[in-house]
Amino acid sequence: MNRMQRNDNVGNARNCMDRLDLLRAIDFAIQETVLYLDAYPHSQEALTYYHQLIKQREEIMTHYEQSCGPITMYGNRSKTSWDWISEPWPWEPSAN
Amino acid sequence: MWTYEKKLQYPVKIKNPNPKLAQVIISQLGGPDGELAASMRYLHQRYSMPYREVTGILTDVGTEELAHLEMVAAILYQLTRNLSEQEIEGSPFATYFVDHTTGLYPVAASGVPFDMKYVGVKGDVIADLNEDLAAEQKARVTYDNILRLTDDPDVRDPIKYLRQRELVHYQRFGDALRIAQDNLDSKNFYAFNPSFDRKTK
Repeated sequence: MNRMQRNDNVGNARNCMDRLDLLRAIDFAIQETVLYLDAYPHSQEALTYYHQLIKQREEIMTHYEQSCGPITMYGNRSKTSWDWISEPWPWEPSAN
Repeated sequence: MWTYEKKLQYPVKIKNPNPKLAQVIISQLGGPDGELAASMRYLHQRYSMPYREVTGILTDVGTEELAHLEMVAAILYQLTRNLSEQEIEGSPFATYFVDHTTGLYPVAASGVPFDMKYVGVKGDVIADLNEDLAAEQKARVTYDNILRLTDDPDVRDPIKYLRQRELVHYQRFGDALRIAQDNLDSKNFYAFNPSFDRKTK
């Protein structure tokens, strides 16, 4: 069952795409902050920002994985189906 | 995309440096049946796989191979720490040292730099999975040969772990080949069916 089939209306599938965009955005912000912190490990300002982002990510990630499928091999939330392989692969047009 | 986890899959703690041994183990970094070739092979084959189970196995084994690449690197790093000039001079490691000092550059034990020629991607599920089964066995033999060349328990322990993983991957690729063959046309008992000509399910 893929993400499109599971959500029996287009609105919910759209919702997963929107959540994925949100996850990508927060992950990009974390990536940039981490690169900065690697170079400037004593920046308290950057470290505070990092913690804000991590907190937001946890929430976004939980919502995404619960309703749209796993992002990592540790994130298959379903107790009854192995969604890790049934969801579209990231290079498939339907995953983007 | 990938993210990095700051831990080895299995610990590496080597007390005694041994550049001569590093010079042979480096083949599992950049040699024909090494971990870099393994990872590149599986992670590039997965795009043309018509079955989701097989794509999953290639993704997850290919990712685990990157963890093995790091373990081999950790073994090499620890075997080449704090070397004196005397330990390098006259050792087979000297020819590597002159070009790379103690930096980790993926080469085969023979000194040939890593080459994507070690990696087969045919775009055909049967051809590629048979390549993978052979690759796991070849890597297992390389680890067997390394074990024949050292008595050091600190080195043997993580090498034995890596060898065992080759056996497990061989089993999973065997499952993958069975899944692929179960999906072939029932009249096609010679196991051809070019992926290129088939509609993906």
